[in-house]
Order: sequence, then C-alpha cells, then structure tokens
Amino acid sequence: MTPQESVLERPEVSPPKPWSFPDAQRSELANGLAVVSYDIPGQYVISVRLAVPMLLEREPRDREGVATIMARTLDEGTARHTAEEFAELLERKGIALGAGVSDSGLIVDLDVPKRHLTEALDLLSQAVREPAFPENEVSRHVKTRLAEIDQERAVPGQRAAMEFIETYFDARERASRPTAGTKATISAITPQDLVVFHAANVVLSGATVVVAGDLGDLDIVSQVEHALGSWTGAAVDAVEPHAAVRSVDAARIAFVDRPGSVQTEFYVGCPGPDRRVEGGWAAYQVLGFVIGGSPNARVDAVLREDKGFTYGIRSGFRPRRCGGMFLTSGSVRADSTVEALGLLLDILDKAREGFTAEETQAGVDFIGKTAPGRYATADTVAEEAAGLSLEGLTTEFTTATLLALAEVDASALAAAYDRFVSGEWTVVVVGDAGLYAEGVRGLGRGEVTVIPA
Amino acid sequence: MPLNYEIAERTLANGLRVIVSEDHSVPNVTVDLWVNVGSRHEVEGRTGFAHLFEHLMFQGSRNVASGEHFSVLMAAGGRLNATTWFDRTNYFETVPRGAMDLALWMEADRHGHLLDAVNQENLDNQRDVVKEEKRQRYDNMPYGNALIDVYAVIFPKGHPYHHATIGSMQDLDAASVQDVHEFFRLHYGPDNTVLALVGDLTPDEGFVAAEKYFGPLPATAAARRGPVEPLATLSAPVRDEHIEDVPADRLHIAFRLPVDDTPEFFASSLAMDIIGGLATSRLYRRLVRGEQSAVSVSANAMGFVDGISLGLMVIDVADGFDADAVEAAACEELVRFAEQGPTEIEMESALAQTERGWLSSLASQEERADHICHFATLQGDAGYINTFLDRLGEVSADQVQQAAARWLMPTSRAVVAYLKQDGDTR
Repeated sequence: MTPQESVLERPEVSPPKPWSFPDAQRSELANGLAVVSYDIPGQYVISVRLAVPMLLEREPRDREGVATIMARTLDEGTARHTAEEFAELLERKGIALGAGVSDSGLIVDLDVPKRHLTEALDLLSQAVREPAFPENEVSRHVKTRLAEIDQERAVPGQRAAMEFIETYFDARERASRPTAGTKATISAITPQDLVVFHAANVVLSGATVVVAGDLGDLDIVSQVEHALGSWTGAAVDAVEPHAAVRSVDAARIAFVDRPGSVQTEFYVGCPGPDRRVEGGWAAYQVLGFVIGGSPNARVDAVLREDKGFTYGIRSGFRPRRCGGMFLTSGSVRADSTVEALGLLLDILDKAREGFTAEETQAGVDFIGKTAPGRYATADTVAEEAAGLSLEGLTTEFTTATLLALAEVDASALAAAYDRFVSGEWTVVVVGDAGLYAEGVRGLGRGEVTVIPA
Repeated sequence: MPLNYEIAERTLANGLRVIVSEDHSVPNVTVDLWVNVGSRHEVEGRTGFAHLFEHLMFQGSRNVASGEHFSVLMAAGGRLNATTWFDRTNYFETVPRGAMDLALWMEADRHGHLLDAVNQENLDNQRDVVKEEKRQRYDNMPYGNALIDVYAVIFPKGHPYHHATIGSMQDLDAASVQDVHEFFRLHYGPDNTVLALVGDLTPDEGFVAAEKYFGPLPATAAARRGPVEPLATLSAPVRDEHIEDVPADRLHIAFRLPVDDTPEFFASSLAMDIIGGLATSRLYRRLVRGEQSAVSVSANAMGFVDGISLGLMVIDVADGFDADAVEAAACEELVRFAEQGPTEIEMESALAQTERGWLSSLASQEERADHICHFATLQGDAGYINTFLDRLGEVSADQVQQAAARWLMPTSRAVVAYLKQDGDTR
C-alpha cells in the first residue's frame, strides 16, 4: 500500500525580521587608545583584537617578512617569562593568543573564556609591550618560515598565489613579494632586527582594541585601561598608503610547470576597488557572489555543474588598504586545462555585457540576508571591527554597506564591473606545461611564459 | 561552567527524531539533518558511494529542480552545504526564520522523494565533480593521501574504517543509477534521521513544522546493524613508507583508541593533547622547542562509533634531521608519559583548552546544531552539549595515565612516513 502523502505547496518565504549589526560602545583611554566593545549575550568566549596600523613598506627591503616573524614571536618569551612559561600561562587559562600581519597592519587576536579575561588581557599586554625575542626562539621561527615556504611552493593553490603577485604587481611594489618574506630576506633576520622593528612599529598611535562577547557584568574600559593604559609610542610612515601599481606587462599568462599534476590550478585577476570606492562597496560583494560565489554562480554553473571539470572555482573582489583586485581561483581536471581556461575567461569577459535582474536580486538577497548569521559570533564581529579599523573605518561601514544593497540593481552592477574590468587579465596556470602550455598559447588570450616550479 | 542550552526533543510516528534548541539571539534558524549512514556502511567495490550520494541530493528531487537547493535557499539568505564522514552524512542550512518552512519543505522533498530526479546524466556529472574533489584535496596535494594510508594500515581490510570516505576512482567509476536507488532505499528515511532546528523558534513551532513537512514520509530505512566487534590495539608496530616528491619528511603516528563517548575515550583524548596537542605538550617542548628537530607537532583523537577510534600525531621533521631519530624520540616520550602520567598543570591545561574550544564551537547556531545532531544520532543523547565538559572534568589523572599505557604505547603504533625523494639525511 502506498502511504498517503498530502501534497504540500512550496512554502512562501516571509520577509526577514529586522536586524542590525551589534552596537558598538566606543571610548578612548587617557593615553589615546581606542576601545570598541560589542556586548553579545550568550557568547561565552570573549574575542579581543588589538589592531595596529602598519604599512608593510616599513620593513627594510632586505628584511622583508620581519613583521611576520615579529608577530609570530611576540609571545615566545617576554621580559617576565620564558617562551615555555608564557605558553603555560596561556594554556592553563584556556587562552588562545596569536598575531598576524596584512598589507595594512598587525592584528593580535585573543580568545578566552569570560572568567579569565583579566589574566588574558595582562598576558596580551606583556606580549605586545615586552617581547624579549630570545635568540633560540627567533632562529626557530626563521627556520619554520623557511620550511613553510617549501610547503607553499609544493601546494598548487599557494604556488599560484605566489606567482600571481609577482606577475601582477610592478616589481618595485612591496605587494609583488610575499607578506611573510622570501628565503633570502627571512634568512637574514636576527633578534636585533625584531627588537628594532618592534620598537618602531608596535606602538600606541592609531591602535584600536576590540572586545566582543557576553560582556554583561564586565567593565571593559577599565580592564583594558589596566592592561594597556600606560602604553605609549608613535610611528610615522615613510610613504603614504597608495594603491600598488600594476606591472606594465601584467596582462599575460604565467604557466608554472608542475609535471605530473592531475589537476591544473588557475589564478586570474585584474584591478579592483578598495572599500572606499565611488558608488559604494556593496555592488562588489554582490558581483563576487553572482560571478563565482556558489555552485550556481556563472563560473561553476558551466565549469562544475555543466562540464564537471572542477570541484569549485571562486571569484571575489579583494580590497586592500588602497586599491584592490578582482580574483578568480580554483582547479580543474588536467586534461580539461585548455578548454576550461578558455571558458573561464569567456565567462569573466562576458560579464561586462551585464547582469540579469534575477541574478542581481539573488546576489543582493544572499549578501544582505545572510548578514545576521555571518556576524552572529563574538569572533566574527571582532574580526570585522579590527580589520576595518586598520583602514580607518568602523563597523558603521558594515551597516552602511548592508543598507546600500537596497540600491544595487542590474545597472549598478554592470557599472561597478565596468569600472574595473577591462578584459586585461593576469593569468597564472599551475600544471603540466609539457602537456598543456601549447594549448593554452593557442587560446590567443595573452603571451604565455613557462616558469619552472 | 554549567551549560544550559535549551533542548526539547520529540519523535514523530515515522521515527524522525526532532530536536529543537530555542535561541533568539539572531533571527535565523539552522535546519540540520543527520542521516545515520556513512562510509562505514559502504560495501566492497563501492567505496566513496555515501559521499557521491550526498552530492546527488543537490541535483533535484520530486518537486525541486537540479541546483535549486542551492540557488533558492541562497537567494532566501541561506548558507548551506552537506558533509559525509565515516559514521554519518549531514545536510544543513542556516536561513532567516521566514525561510524555515521552505528549507524544511525542500529537505523533506529530497529526503523522501530523491529518486524521482536521479538519472544517468546527473550521476555522471556529480561523479566528475567528486573525482575533482578527490584530485584537489588528495591526489594533487603533497601528503594528500597520507590519511587514506593511515586508515588502511591501522584498520584491517574489511573493517568499516579501513577505507576513506572519499573512496577510490575505480569504485566511483563503477557506481550506477541502480546503486543510488538501493542506497536510498536502505539508508534514507525518517526512521534513520535526526532533525535539529536551532535558533529563532519555540519547541512547539519546531515540532509542528517538522510534523507538517516530514510527518507524511513513511519509515523506509532498513534496520541498522549493531556496532562491529571492538578491535584491540595493534600487537606490533606497523610501518608504511612513501618516498615521494614532498617538501619535507612528515611522520603520521597513529593509534587505535577506545570508542567515542566513553570515559576511556575522554582519557585517551586528554592524553593525546598532553603528549602532542598543546603548545606545552611533551612532544612540542622536546622536539619543536628543545631539539628543534621538528617544525611542528599535532595530535588529536577522532571519536568513532564502530568498535574503535583513531588517535593521530603528525610530526613535520626539520630540515637536516633524521626522521627515524625523531620517531624514536617521540616513542621515548610516549613510554615516559605512560610511566609518569600527567602533571597537575598538564591536566589543567588540557581541560582549559578543551573548554575554550568547546565553547567556541557552540558559539554559532550552525555548529551547535551540528553537535546536537552528532550526539543524538551516534550516541543517543541530544543533551550532550550541556554535559560534555562536566564529564570530561571527571576524568582523573590516573585514568589518563592508564589510557596512555593501554592505547598509546610505541609497540601499538602505526606509522605512515612520507619522506623526501632526495633526503640527504637518510
């Protein structure tokens, strides 16, 4: 007997309930440190981010990566504790402390269960203000970074990203070389380099502390005051923030030879905006989704769902402190290399002809309606606020951008794409050049240079 | 700290377990379905099938067109995906509250009526996609197949965990539309599924909606087999060596561990943390900080349900050091730990780090839903999220030492070594 099944109509979706980005409480300590807090009830792990603006151009040319090694060794021994003691102090209280640098600055991140916040802030302060950079730990992190470079060269996606910045940016730009340095520059780094770089750059001026989580009964400002209220120092940039210049011969295809590869990795890019772009940032978020943000977006509708060439290829606009890029990356089955690259570039070029109202609306709805979930946890809120602070922005920007989605229609999307995308692509291919370089050359999509892996 | 996330549970007449966890912090609902089928249920010659099947769940069902699951829910503000693992398969989306009914309707359509839409064309397409997933994540990556090797050496042929969830290219090629029909009929159905609804709803609203959309589905899944017989530890070390084009020597040192959700598993998990998981672990102190013979060390316990679990340590050997000597040093530390047991500070650290990790993972609705489904499906108890830390805290230092002495001795290790082709130290 067939069980009786009621036939239910596909349910209608009712409009989302109102939501807004968590409210920020802003203060400034007597020493000038900006403190921003977000009370998010139910978030029992408190996320703290200390953001210190710092252009990578401050690194000496022959010590590039010094900012990264410094970030990694801040907690590897301080004035008061050895590296091992410090690690133990963190772990006994369930504290996770880390730090990293981007093109716009240093972010120290701290996650800790609420009841240990006071101890955690004290340890963060010691790491930031009193690092000792012991010889043994510095040389260890230098060696670790050298090993990491070997690993990066062996992973196709990372190899592609390395080749991309070198091909894309003018060689005079810091952006043309890895943020974390090269073998030559890393090998030269000494503890003294870290001491000097730290003293000059990890300073109070321009810094912001973000605290997010279930802050109900905590006095965040006085806690931060206690930990960092006596911090001082100012830094001056030798250069103004500027959009890194693209190489004059960037519009070409660099084919990194990786013999025997069973897949081919693509990394395709052209200029894009930063968040302050005329016309607003919202349209660029939508573009990323419409072109390469889901299995049904333009790229994967063809390369994944129709052709079965890939597990997935993603596109997105990546803002930098000034200027930015539009990047598309992913891997395809090796024997589809030539056809897949041709199709991919066609899709990216054809987008210049415009977008349908339907796909535009789907993108607008995805970006806007997923926001409550994307910013639901302490760490995502803190991350957003800290990242924006390095660009001189606050999470008012996030709110304004979400509101601006209402104005994004198909013509706005087309105008936004047209403002930056001219069809002059920098293309990196990582795969078996012996088998596919000639075919790629035959596409006629740009000069092909084969580079040994 | 005592946790008190709201948990309400009801089982529908067709066997679907429905768990609702009310949380109004954001106006979203996570819809999470766990089906009690994973790669451990696959038969010989069809490895990788549970995962391939999961892909087909996005290619349409009776009233849903191919690809609509992604396109319609994303346009409604949904973030969604699915995953397959040894023990289970899960399907999930986080949607605005106003799209919850649509999500449930679409889920019920594919969990009840998938086969109406399965055909050779969408099977062939998703087979290609899955093969690219395998190439991207395993075959084209340095060390990419190491975990597959670990499972194969530490669990005997024919054991549910002997083969990896991704399966083999040969078996993926062999999968037919007929296999899809059989797999669906055997394993899918409300009586083999747990549904969690977490977020901006009341338990009553959740139960009513679950009944409305899933209530009409018949109980169709075949009865589950019981867990397979427990495995003992390996009686002698096993070694699997690969000389490959990798950037550095890497050692994977694996152990059989007791089944998940037992005091002995918790104890062995804490032992793994203290030996190799913490930044203050025995191996990190000696190999990474001290001798600097390793660039990194990690260790973690993966809990399974079928008679055994897995403990895995991964050590990246530093340039210029001998992998055998590093392995010997690691073995010394294992023996020493089994003899000494953990210090008070080590226990405190392992518990504190686990607590933060656990609380962080409960911070988002989607991960909380995932934990709720996990333990409801595989261990029975949907309230586990509230009690896990307390139960872990009851594990004594003696129990940790005993677990190490029983499960983590060098004599019962399996080592998968990936060594550089031109290694100059060997």
